[in-house]
Amino acid sequence: MITKQKLVYCRPTLCSGCRICANACAVAHDGVANPRLGRIAIHQNLLERYEFQELCRHCEDAPCIDACMVGCIEEDEGTGIITNDDRCVGCWMCVMVCPYGGMRRDLAKQVAIKCDQCKDLSGPVCVDVCPNGALVYKEREDARVEPFFAGPTVA
Amino acid sequence: MENSRPLCINAVVNLSDRTVELVETQEEAIRNFLGGRGLNVYYLYKYLKPQSDPLSPDNVLILGTGLLTGTIAPNSGRHSITCKSPESGILGDSNIGGFFGPEMRFAGFDRLIILGKADAPVYLYLEDGKIEIRDASPYWGLTCNQTERKIRYDLGSDIEVECIGPAGEKMVRFACTRSGIKNAAGRCGTGAVWGSKNLKAVVARGTRGLPVKDPQGMIEKYIELRDYLQQSRVISVLGRVGTPLLYDVSNYLGAIRTHNSQQTVFFDTLNAEEVHKYVNKMLSCYGCVVHCRHRNTLGGEGPEYTAEVLLGANIGVADTRQIIDLNNIVNDLGLDVSSTGTYIAWAIELFERGYLDEKTAGRVLRFGDYEMARELIYDIAYRRGLGDMLAEGSRLVDRFGPETADFLIAIKGLPQSDPHDVRYLKAFALGIATSSRGADHLRSRPTLEILDLPASFTEQIYGEPVDPNPTSYRSKARVVTFSETIFAVVDCLGICKFICHGFNSPRNLNYDHFRELIKLATGLEFSKEELVEGGQRVIDQERLINYQEKGITRQDDTLPARYFDEPMPSARAKGSRIDRQSFSQMLDEYYALHGWDKEGMLPPERVAELNRLKDLI
Repeated sequence: MITKQKLVYCRPTLCSGCRICANACAVAHDGVANPRLGRIAIHQNLLERYEFQELCRHCEDAPCIDACMVGCIEEDEGTGIITNDDRCVGCWMCVMVCPYGGMRRDLAKQVAIKCDQCKDLSGPVCVDVCPNGALVYKEREDARVEPFFAGPTVA
Repeated sequence: MENSRPLCINAVVNLSDRTVELVETQEEAIRNFLGGRGLNVYYLYKYLKPQSDPLSPDNVLILGTGLLTGTIAPNSGRHSITCKSPESGILGDSNIGGFFGPEMRFAGFDRLIILGKADAPVYLYLEDGKIEIRDASPYWGLTCNQTERKIRYDLGSDIEVECIGPAGEKMVRFACTRSGIKNAAGRCGTGAVWGSKNLKAVVARGTRGLPVKDPQGMIEKYIELRDYLQQSRVISVLGRVGTPLLYDVSNYLGAIRTHNSQQTVFFDTLNAEEVHKYVNKMLSCYGCVVHCRHRNTLGGEGPEYTAEVLLGANIGVADTRQIIDLNNIVNDLGLDVSSTGTYIAWAIELFERGYLDEKTAGRVLRFGDYEMARELIYDIAYRRGLGDMLAEGSRLVDRFGPETADFLIAIKGLPQSDPHDVRYLKAFALGIATSSRGADHLRSRPTLEILDLPASFTEQIYGEPVDPNPTSYRSKARVVTFSETIFAVVDCLGICKFICHGFNSPRNLNYDHFRELIKLATGLEFSKEELVEGGQRVIDQERLINYQEKGITRQDDTLPARYFDEPMPSARAKGSRIDRQSFSQMLDEYYALHGWDKEGMLPPERVAELNRLKDLI
């Protein structure tokens, strides 16, 4: 039962496009620097004048879980955090089905990478490092809550 | 992916015979020259044939990332472009931010050393350890923004581009190299060298990670330094309005270069709050905690303080919108803002004094004429009419006569970049007079000693008491040497000067922070003394190149005659000028601090050391 799930939210107007979040993510998870290997992606186009963030939203009924042919993407029952593991074969089906661009590709290792909300650390590192407060980590507003009536109400 | 990779891989690209060779930098060279600007001048000294023509295939073009570029160190997005300057004929070295430097490292190259000349327009494509030399004919002739847009359309948007515009292609001697909308390696005419080699662009796509020695420690250090830096008031104001914040202060002082430095105060329309009416958003370079770059409402980025004064006050244009427009055009065409503004103002004064007539100029030149300036900028970039003449830059002194150099605000053939009239601040004057690439404030920019800090505090920074009076000549050599050295180290590391100790604020990152960051990122251990020594070695190496190429000695470390002879006309700085004798004393002190002789020459032991290092593989 999902209750009180927390998510990382992006505020595009505050993002100045420095890629520190993505870079810190790669450093924290893989020990190497490269924003491309971060689980969060900053899409910036200076010519078209926008900054946009793509990040896993840890959906209910996540399409990536259904799409994964080796079954390496799983949802944690308690926290709602969706993770993948090293059984990934790099078929990119999850990348294709994700409507939010939350699945990233590590082209050197040929595996999909995705946000795990830094569950092994004290909190998401991207939120910790953002210099502009453009990322926030808070309870999702549309979280499922316990139904008020536990049983049938019609006598 | 293996987590190991040599610390510094250089690709030697020969465009003449289209070959690429990989060379690893030995650790001894890294310990002596660090990286970035340092290793760039090291390799320039190694590969450049003495006395070669800067626009010939013999010139060497080096794009080099710093030791910390691309790591998660704060503001680690910068790299240096080095060559022999076609504008000044001495060292050409320019630092550029944006996103290209880190991307080049992720693609597996820390430095590109480009030799020879391609027989047709080409661009370099870098991806994961491979370099391809590709045909650039579809992009030749396009402006910087058009080039970037078209390359992104053709190759995908996840690349980073560094390119030249029409000015570089036409080998305008002060053309810049551009990345993004505004990031530029502006000074010294690096773009013209690209053009002379038929090199339109370098494109990088890097999917590999750059190993970080201590990932967890690095993230913790970054957070600590970010919090420390963001407490600084200067940094928070820079993040809010960018560099135009300096305009108001300098204008109040009466030290804005106006009408080719004939005047020193200008309108309030260039104040930060006026400029900010045209700003949509403030942007960052790679890994930046400051975000000082404006996205303006007229379709470009900027203006910086330099652009608004040199394309505004210096040529007499006061309308904020018109200045931003000129700034956008100059950036798009790939010209250096500082040089362009200085030469246009100089041309106007030449016209006023009768060196140029209406027939040669093709128009009447006068201060404050926006339309004229706009046309002239296009003419320079495309080398038409008077623009073709002005595109030769400071070499025009030979044509108009040596007396015209007295009112060209340039030193060693390079126009002054800073909009600040240095007659008031004596340390500034010494800094631009001795800078290794010509009149440039980003080589030293000494401002700490005048900030009203406690004497014990400044003594701790400089090692000796310094005189806080901005108009005094005493102890300024020490101040300049300090700033010069730390800036050399910062350029070697690939970090932005805005977060560097001594730029505007006594806080910010100092040698101890650099040591910790280098250790966490690369595992190399440096002592503070080694870093200082490294910075000084870089400055000495640059001095040696300048001596070798153009015989630069004491007589070249001087100021435009206007700064000596004409007192400043207005406001608080009224009456200030540089006294020749006191200036000469400052130079003596400065040379002594560097261990150079009275003529500003390196000691023979140092030359021998640099020649020994040059012969390392």
